[in-house]
Amino acid sequence: MLTPNIKKNRPKNLNLFTIRLPINAVVSILHRVSGLSLFLMLPLLILAFQKSLASEASFSHVINFLNSWFMKPALIGLAWAFFHHFYAGLRHLAADVHWMTSLQKARFSGRVVLWLVAISVVIFTIVIW
Amino acid sequence: MLIKLLSKKYPGMRLWLIQRLTALVMVFYIILLLVVWLFKQPADYAGWLNFVTPIWFRFATLLFFLSLFCHAWLGVQDVLKDYIFNAELRAVLRRLVLIALWIYFIWLVFILWY
Repeated sequence: MLTPNIKKNRPKNLNLFTIRLPINAVVSILHRVSGLSLFLMLPLLILAFQKSLASEASFSHVINFLNSWFMKPALIGLAWAFFHHFYAGLRHLAADVHWMTSLQKARFSGRVVLWLVAISVVIFTIVIW
Repeated sequence: MLIKLLSKKYPGMRLWLIQRLTALVMVFYIILLLVVWLFKQPADYAGWLNFVTPIWFRFATLLFFLSLFCHAWLGVQDVLKDYIFNAELRAVLRRLVLIALWIYFIWLVFILWY
């Protein structure tokens, strides 16, 4: 029989440095991180879109700015957030229609997502550099 | 079954569905964007204007961002619920996010049509 006292004495481990997340949890938390980053980057993206259309001079200004050495890593970070949210989101949609939902298959699709993200980011880096 | 779950009794189901539908709209737009990009391959300012100007492209882009804002609104709300424990602070942040998304929307209409 469970008494409140026994419940209180359950072992707890909330030390983030000793918790090893399973791959599904890694994909999931990165989905959240990437989604929030994309949301926070929205105003800069819309601003760049606006400036690129305003005039020929401001168009080349935007291009030059995005081509600068310090903006390229930022663009790669943004591309990572996009690719991760995109592929992990497709995985969520697949899970919603009950596709690949067993633990074993979900682990496999999680690995596929992480690999697709890595490959996409590498291709993106090569293209912009 | 699904129709039943979408009735007023279960408001969360509707939000769940909106999150998925907006995701699908964005996926289609991104594929469309890639295809049109490969066809037109804009290389300079004139090419870029030519890429953005068609009326169907403007409407598609607006639909994309409308979906994005709904999607982000639901997503950010979930994040706030999970990490901001102070109810008043959460309400303030929630309102700020909503205001920001409305401003982005009006800003985009302005960019696309003026």
